[in-house]
Amino acid sequence: MRTFEFEAPETIDEAVSLLKKAGGSARPLAGGTDLVVQMKESATRFPYPATIVSLDRISELRGIDFADGGGLRIGAGATMTDVATHPAIRERYAALAEGAGFVGSLQTMNMATIGGNVCNAAPSADTAPPLLVYDAEAVIIGPDGRRTLPIAELFRGPGQTALAPDELLVELRLPAPTPATGAAYQRNTPRKQMDIAVVGVAVALTLSGDTIERARVALGAVAPTPLRAKSAEAALEGKPANDETFAKAAAAAVEDSSPITDIRASAEFRRHLVKVMTARQLAEAANRAKGSA
Amino acid sequence: MAKQLITFTVNGREREVAVEPHWTLLETVRETLSLTGSKEGCGTGDCGACTMIVDGRIVTSCLMLAPQANGRDVTTIEGLEAIGSLDPVQQAFIDAGGLQCGFCIPGMIVAARNLLDDNPSPTLDQIREGLAGNLCRCTGYTKIYEAVELAAERIRGSA
Amino acid sequence: MPDDTKTRESTSADGNGHTAVGKRVTRLEGAAKVTGKTVFADDMKMPGLLHVGVLYAPQAHARIKSIDTAKAAALPGVYAVFTAADLPDYKRNDSNRNGLIFPDKEVLFHGQPIAAVLSEDPHIAEEATALIEAEFEPLPAVLDPVAAMENDSPLVRQPLVDVDRSEARGHVSVETEETEQQDEPSNIASRAPFARGDVAAGFAEADVIIDRTWRTAMVHQSYIEPHSTIADYDASGELRVWTSTQGPFHVRNELAQAFGLPENRIRVTATEVGGGFGGKIYLTELMVAALAIATRRPVKHIMSRKDDMIAATPAPYTHIELKTGMKRDGTLTALQARLIYDSGAFPGAPMLAGCILVGGYYRCDNIDIKGFEVLTNKVSVGALRAPGAHNATFAIESHMDMMAKELGLDPLEVRLKNAVAEGDLMPSGQAYPAIGLRECLEAIADSDVWRRRREIEATPNRGVGLAIGGWIGGLQPASAIVCLNGDGTVNVTVGSADITGSNTTFQQITAEVLNVPLDMVNVETGDTKTAPYAGMSAGSKTVYTVGRAVKKAAEDLRQQMFELAMKRLEVEPEDMEVANCQVQVKGAPDRAMTFKRFGRLSTNFGGPFPAIVGRGAITARKIAPSFVAQAAEVEVDPDTGGITLHACAIAQDAGFAINPLSVEGQMQGGASQGIGIALWEEMQHDEHGRLLNPNLLDYRLPTSRDLPPIETIIVEVPSEEGPFGARIVGEPSIVAGAAAIGNAIDNAVGARVDEAPITPERLLRAMSKL
Repeated sequence: MRTFEFEAPETIDEAVSLLKKAGGSARPLAGGTDLVVQMKESATRFPYPATIVSLDRISELRGIDFADGGGLRIGAGATMTDVATHPAIRERYAALAEGAGFVGSLQTMNMATIGGNVCNAAPSADTAPPLLVYDAEAVIIGPDGRRTLPIAELFRGPGQTALAPDELLVELRLPAPTPATGAAYQRNTPRKQMDIAVVGVAVALTLSGDTIERARVALGAVAPTPLRAKSAEAALEGKPANDETFAKAAAAAVEDSSPITDIRASAEFRRHLVKVMTARQLAEAANRAKGSA
Repeated sequence: MAKQLITFTVNGREREVAVEPHWTLLETVRETLSLTGSKEGCGTGDCGACTMIVDGRIVTSCLMLAPQANGRDVTTIEGLEAIGSLDPVQQAFIDAGGLQCGFCIPGMIVAARNLLDDNPSPTLDQIREGLAGNLCRCTGYTKIYEAVELAAERIRGSA
Repeated sequence: MPDDTKTRESTSADGNGHTAVGKRVTRLEGAAKVTGKTVFADDMKMPGLLHVGVLYAPQAHARIKSIDTAKAAALPGVYAVFTAADLPDYKRNDSNRNGLIFPDKEVLFHGQPIAAVLSEDPHIAEEATALIEAEFEPLPAVLDPVAAMENDSPLVRQPLVDVDRSEARGHVSVETEETEQQDEPSNIASRAPFARGDVAAGFAEADVIIDRTWRTAMVHQSYIEPHSTIADYDASGELRVWTSTQGPFHVRNELAQAFGLPENRIRVTATEVGGGFGGKIYLTELMVAALAIATRRPVKHIMSRKDDMIAATPAPYTHIELKTGMKRDGTLTALQARLIYDSGAFPGAPMLAGCILVGGYYRCDNIDIKGFEVLTNKVSVGALRAPGAHNATFAIESHMDMMAKELGLDPLEVRLKNAVAEGDLMPSGQAYPAIGLRECLEAIADSDVWRRRREIEATPNRGVGLAIGGWIGGLQPASAIVCLNGDGTVNVTVGSADITGSNTTFQQITAEVLNVPLDMVNVETGDTKTAPYAGMSAGSKTVYTVGRAVKKAAEDLRQQMFELAMKRLEVEPEDMEVANCQVQVKGAPDRAMTFKRFGRLSTNFGGPFPAIVGRGAITARKIAPSFVAQAAEVEVDPDTGGITLHACAIAQDAGFAINPLSVEGQMQGGASQGIGIALWEEMQHDEHGRLLNPNLLDYRLPTSRDLPPIETIIVEVPSEEGPFGARIVGEPSIVAGAAAIGNAIDNAVGARVDEAPITPERLLRAMSKL
């Protein structure tokens, strides 16, 4: 690796002012499981950083808090292991625990952070579809202060977010769970572990009796960014929660996707998987919703 | 770039080391501390041969920058044995034949030790999940599963 | 006594009277490996060490217009930069991958090394390679071996002259040779035809004919330790090399020829090999030695994973057209095959072995096999555990199942009916010695997975498949020395690299012959200056050849002690035996001389006995092929094409398993590699011949979550020449995996994928779901 300056601020404000001072030539570093790999391979999507601003001394970034009325706050520095094992997340935001648990080996999960997964903005990021179906918000701090952005607006393209070079993602906020809601995330990979998702599908359904009151469907690895499958959602809301509805919604989800052919899969295979997996996740989410009524 | 002084605990001993920011924890431990048990198999976190325990959790040390190790507690394969005798996990790997070329083994044993620390009675599936970040090309894993089961049995037996 | 002796299996005589062989013995180097103390090449440090960064060509085929190293040389911390023009003299041979360090005129594959940077800091060495400015004029890149065979195909390279196949012979000994490239320039480096009988007549008699093309991907050995080499050449004039190699003597001999140095001025130490599988014989040593000679400083070259995947010697892509015919009663009547092995830009593809095996598993009166080794502008290939075998086996073993299915015959019975046995002929006309193929088939029937067949087949989307495989094995002279120490313990020195636990096996052999506890015997691999000659640890022949030499050396040591004891014991050697760590009169333990005593008398000041050194040297003339049968249980997700391996069993004829623990490990390891080849492993290239997945993320080795425990069944049909009847062991277990899994998948969902790896996408297409 080529060398760089290394800073280890202890507060968010310090980190932001370091980023601002560097004028675009600095990058924040959390777990390193994406950034360090990219730097080693000289494959960053941005110019090789002259300064690395390490975030791991900033304790404010770590916490996970759940309050019944208030919802979930996850510090951007929470690791995948923290997210996947947190009791409130496993119980109330199951799809997110699943996504975090798929990210890689135990070693990767111990190092990778949810902030890193989101800001690396790979189309296949495993926490992204769950965050989308939970209507998460990104809390961002920059030199001009704090702003909040719906997670869907954070993803701008492969490896690109709406963050300015001197801004830091500090927290993700998920609204309080609605009763009778079930959510699930699944991904398709060639091996049982360690791979990048070929397709990822997250679904959240809120039921009223047997009718779908509210639906969220989000797809990963089938578009330039993780995205909500809005046509699928439209094909679900107000409809009965049954296989026929799910099949139609799954077909609609395919229309919302625009996968490419790459070394991992062809576009055709990815479209096929969107259809199969969306139907399956819908059935699973409906089961979980019934269980949580 | 000037070197930074970091202080961290390695295998129970406090160490103070001058490091370049672009060095990884792996190369710092191997080159500066001459603890060459941990290996580089890929450099990108995909094989687990560099696995160390940092603050109680296993990591791929090839992706941790050396300055990030400041203030941390690190255990490498060299930290498992007591003076003159092997950790039960190490002994079990020998006895079950769970090793061939030996290159993946330090990382594998560190991961297995950590697994058993968290879960003293793992099922076969839990063992397979716990070691999925450690690639072995020689054994096909069967005798590694047996080694971990043997180690767990012995550790429970002597508890 | 150190604690680790407790772990060794107790050696008391078993039913055969064996005390040490045939026992499950743990690795003698086990403690060093589990503590991380074993020294691999990259663990070595020395003063003045220079690290190497290599510039690899970015084009698959190009003329080199210029290479400007000025900027690289100017980077602070760079010690020197080398291109072809800067290298010391060496005997260059452009027709051999290992005869050329850097090209000066033409690049032949993407990833061909073209320059090197030396620095005391490996990061700087790497950084500087990016500053080397090389200009190329692209030439047509030939990437498809089938197209490359056409008369009008552009040429991959200048014609071959003087091809050296000595390394390939270390892997397999078959009594036949390929025909090298003829006078007409062509991309076909060699061909081999095998024929007997009349295939047309054979097909005419058949009740079912299967005619299909099978393709297997280029795959990588993926040893977890990348290529690692250190060389030094100092004022003493000795070239010193420490390298992760399976063949230290081969490396020495090649370097001697390359640099015109006498072999006794070269010392090659095989450092512990962190996985070889045939891919670590001789590759970067030539370059590293040249750099050491040029700089007179120690030079260390550790390939990054990415560079190793791009620029080492993977196993070839193959295209195999196979047509087979079978009668209603299950008799194989005709076999016609065209095997195309993609060798990359230099010759060396294991086409011969593939030809022999495709027609070597079953009796068949009518065969017509044509093999082609074809050049392309890709990285040239090397050996991977039973090189050439899994490719051919995927084809023939799929056919056997397909024909059986069409005729309504049992897949195991059909194989038993046609399986070769002693006296049957290989396609080369060579007759098989005693072999255990039938026995393996009978043994696999007893495996847990095969016994559950009916139950599995009755479960939707689950299936069981079976396939056989085998390997002929290599032959090479070998030697060993066994020395008696002053305290009666014994040192064994061999020249073979220990890649499979062979040294532990040698310990057992020696302990058996001398009838002593294991811990009285130490075994070391010496370097090429101190050790007696051994061939490369490849071709599965290490125990088969070196083990025989060790046995002879131990017997020689024993005989020397007997002869020295004659005067004191007053009997002839025929009336003596070894027992209880002493030489004694047969049945009379009180009339004895202890090994310790021999040790003292032969090493002390003024000792009356000469030093007692046993010597064993052999040449191996008889092949001892080893066969396997493998069964697999899979489950297919019919909508995603996802494939889960639930169970796997492998039976192998080991001849005599000197160390069953070790043999099982080889079986499980090889089986896992065969499964990787079956389901996930594939080197993918773009249309410019560039490798798209040079990493362990997208080149997928099976993880523990992908592989269930593998059941092993050791079969023993003794070989004629091997120590205690042992056969070649290490390689056969990789061979049958692709076919076994393909057969299991067909059993599960009734679909055949004729391309390995069998990916979910390919399976869905075969199932007409995509």
